[in-house]
Amino acid sequence: MKLVAMLAAALIAVAAQAQDTIKIGVITDRVGVSKPYSEPATEGMVFGANEINKKGGVLGRRLELLVEDDQSKPDVSAALARKLIDQGAVFILSVSLSPATQQQQTVTMEAKTPQMTPMNSADYLTTQLDNPYFWQTGPLGSVQIATLLAHAKKQNLKRVALITDNSDLGQAIGKAFRGGLEKAAMQVVDEEVVPLGATSATPQMQKIRGANPDAMFVAGVVTATNVLIFKSYRELGLKFPIHASYNLSVPIYETAAKGLVDGITFVDAYDPDKPEVKAFEATYRKETGKEPANLHGYGYDGIMLVAEAIKKAGSTDKEKIRAAMQSLTYGGVMGAKGMKYHFPEGKRTGFDPNGMVVRVYEGDRQGRVVHVGQQ
Amino acid sequence: MKSENPLALRATPLIRGAGAFIVLAGAAFFMGDYHNDVYRKLLLWVTLALGYNFLFGVCGQVAFSHFAFYGIGAYSIVIFLFQLHLPFPLAAICGIALCIVFALAVAIPSTRLEGFYLALVTLALGQLFIVVLNEGGTVTGGTGGIANYRLPEIYGLRLRGPWYTAVIALLVVATYAVLVRLDRSGFGRACRAVRDNPEAAAAMGVDVARTKVIAFTLTSVLAGIGGMVYAFVDNTVNPPIFGIENAFLLLFMVIVGGAGRHAGAVIGAVLLFLLPFWLSPLVGHHHALVFGVLVVAAILLEPRGLIGIYDRVADRYKGSPSR
Amino acid sequence: MQDFFELAVGAAASGCVYGLIGLAYLLIIRPTGIINFAVGEWAMLAAFGGYVTLTKYEWPYPVGMAVVLGLMFVVGWATERVVVRRLVEGGAPLLAPILALLGMLVVFRESISVTFPPDPHPVPDAFGIGRLELGPIGGTYQSFFTIVTALGVFIGAWLFFERTVAGKAFEAVALNRRAAALMGIDLTRVTALSFGAGAVVAGLGGLLVAPNISAHYLMGVPLAIQGFTALVIGGVGRVAGPLLGGLLLALAEQLTVRYAPVPAGYAQGVPLVLLMVFLLLRPTGLLKAKV
Repeated sequence: MKLVAMLAAALIAVAAQAQDTIKIGVITDRVGVSKPYSEPATEGMVFGANEINKKGGVLGRRLELLVEDDQSKPDVSAALARKLIDQGAVFILSVSLSPATQQQQTVTMEAKTPQMTPMNSADYLTTQLDNPYFWQTGPLGSVQIATLLAHAKKQNLKRVALITDNSDLGQAIGKAFRGGLEKAAMQVVDEEVVPLGATSATPQMQKIRGANPDAMFVAGVVTATNVLIFKSYRELGLKFPIHASYNLSVPIYETAAKGLVDGITFVDAYDPDKPEVKAFEATYRKETGKEPANLHGYGYDGIMLVAEAIKKAGSTDKEKIRAAMQSLTYGGVMGAKGMKYHFPEGKRTGFDPNGMVVRVYEGDRQGRVVHVGQQ
Repeated sequence: MKSENPLALRATPLIRGAGAFIVLAGAAFFMGDYHNDVYRKLLLWVTLALGYNFLFGVCGQVAFSHFAFYGIGAYSIVIFLFQLHLPFPLAAICGIALCIVFALAVAIPSTRLEGFYLALVTLALGQLFIVVLNEGGTVTGGTGGIANYRLPEIYGLRLRGPWYTAVIALLVVATYAVLVRLDRSGFGRACRAVRDNPEAAAAMGVDVARTKVIAFTLTSVLAGIGGMVYAFVDNTVNPPIFGIENAFLLLFMVIVGGAGRHAGAVIGAVLLFLLPFWLSPLVGHHHALVFGVLVVAAILLEPRGLIGIYDRVADRYKGSPSR
Repeated sequence: MQDFFELAVGAAASGCVYGLIGLAYLLIIRPTGIINFAVGEWAMLAAFGGYVTLTKYEWPYPVGMAVVLGLMFVVGWATERVVVRRLVEGGAPLLAPILALLGMLVVFRESISVTFPPDPHPVPDAFGIGRLELGPIGGTYQSFFTIVTALGVFIGAWLFFERTVAGKAFEAVALNRRAAALMGIDLTRVTALSFGAGAVVAGLGGLLVAPNISAHYLMGVPLAIQGFTALVIGGVGRVAGPLLGGLLLALAEQLTVRYAPVPAGYAQGVPLVLLMVFLLLRPTGLLKAKV
């Protein structure tokens, strides 16, 4: 009898808890091509959700993350978005492949469910579909190149080379970089693509050497391919400066490209000297025993933004959350000191165009911030 | 060969087909949005597997271009409809024509190739297709693909939700019917003869080259039609769907189910498509590893496919004196 | 012109790697007829072995290399024992082991994927980063090391097939399994050895190319396709086939990027078109088998 009573009590407690949580869907990739980026971002989200829940949750309710693995397959991704909506998710965070995020949008738009990607950076995500329920806070390719160019202004570059890889994002960032360089009235003297699976980047680097540029811009986002490019650059004894995309900001280069990265300039959305970053890194280390990096920060900011929006909406009504999100201003871990995410005039890209920073590798270490924003 | 199943209903194929359609399409109306979506994509995989089984299992051609044709179908209908603004029937016909042209362009010169040489040519074709999609500028939308379109209205009606699932169910049933009929016809026998021994087939008077070309073109067009239907499942098309990875998965489906058997292709497609959905919540990121182990185990235990288990059970029933 | 020689050395090194992967296919196809697409994953396993022994534990290069290749022999042998033997002895159609090995491709890849972080792992060059100039011909130490090692392996393989009794046994099995068995050749042993040797050769290819492309979980499939292409271009009839095919493929790939006047994005498509045209014109490969 006592046992039955206990069981019943437990069941009621579970039911109450289940009803009390606010469900946030997460679509990530745990086995496919996006795994190196999706996994740390997801870890950052889980850490953030735990932190929020320790402080009493949102609107007095716990956040519950429903994490799904889409294997970077866009069609599976869209199906999972439906699953999460069916399960009562009031918001979906997407950290898988950009085309997968895009295909999820066809679902969230129809189901009027708020969706955000805290790290996808392809410019087309907010331009192709007019989906008022979607936001993007990953730093756009166009912002990356503008920030790099602002920093390089004093170098007075005229003739530049551009190199990228043939991944989805590598091509998208490459396109954004080309646009930025042309806008700055620079002459792109050579443009190269290193396909995934190539065993040498020597022919591409020879061509760039032949074009004799003032600098080379690396728009590629596949770490192994970038390492191949830098290796070839060293082997050919090339000297022109390199300005690279935010992929160089992942800490893996410090070990995977030992001796190859010294002096490379790169754009980042992470300033290790920012007080918020220091606090985030300290608690992350203490709670998980692991070393966080900027990729964790993207996920962490993502869940924080969602929590803020729900708090501001004062309810889990999707329409109210949408309105709250659109009018939100929030300062997080990512971005330059004092940067705030916001979505002015109905824009749905929330990363401040002046929020990126430029850093330079010193030896194998990522150096301090040397430049901020597009000015 | 197998004898007629004694349990089979004495109904005309038309009635059986209609029955299958009603069951398959009707099921969609009892499902939520999520299950409907998975079901739609599953049915499309079944269609692809049926076609691929005919090409690979019945006709013995190892080709990796099936997803490229799926993609040609999907992209062409979208481009014809929304960039060239053709009316729907014309767009569909043009899409099919495009598939036929490409299939013939590959198949006619490839008749000289055997076994894995064809595999390599079609593998190159599949990779080339992705390159063209990525570089296609505004026509293909590059890496982002094309979005922001909807199925046109027909007489003021727009098929959506379970009604669109019904369209896909119709596609599956029609594909199945066409392929089974074809398999039982003289053409099907010619295909099997070409697969088993091309020289003997030629000696028996089968035009080997023509048989190969027709089988390749036909199944490629079926894949293209599948692609046209796919284009309106999520109302977006993008390159990753049509890559080589999926072509390998399709091969696995046909093998695990049982190559050369229509029911085998269906079993394989259903199991392997749904496996990650079941495994992912159970074993987390190990699901891909478990998937690989299960595929290997299935081939080791049933080299002729899972349909072999059904065959044995069926044989035992037939052989037992109780019936 | 200097560019061309420099490129030729680099492309030759890439071609030798493709050739080694192609040879791994060939060693298994010869006695068994089985096309093993998991050779790319074997190359990946060896690359990760190189990461663990050479980068993590910093063993001397020859020791690390010997240990990794020794382990690769065990991997190849075990693959045959567990996956292939059952099917071959059970009389399954030839396609069954090919597809089981395709399944093993997934198993190998995912085993690495759940064991190591998904980032690329560095593997050192045999003699560090540096350049060697021989008159007009210049290239990296690793390129020359790769070319010399691969040539050594191909000469060894050629001598084995042409000059030794064991090599003849392989050949006999390839020609007629039943007759070979009647002649007293141990079919099972020959098959097991061919898988072991195939894994060692594929592993060597992986170890040699890893300093360039890093060890990572997605590196296997491109290598498997490049090696298979090398094999098909060169033809399975002769031991030198994959080497010739690999060199041609690598030259086509890299010369296209360097000299062909096509937009960068399309340059990767040119070797694919060349391959299709080549196959259609010459469906049996460049080198014909001796009759």
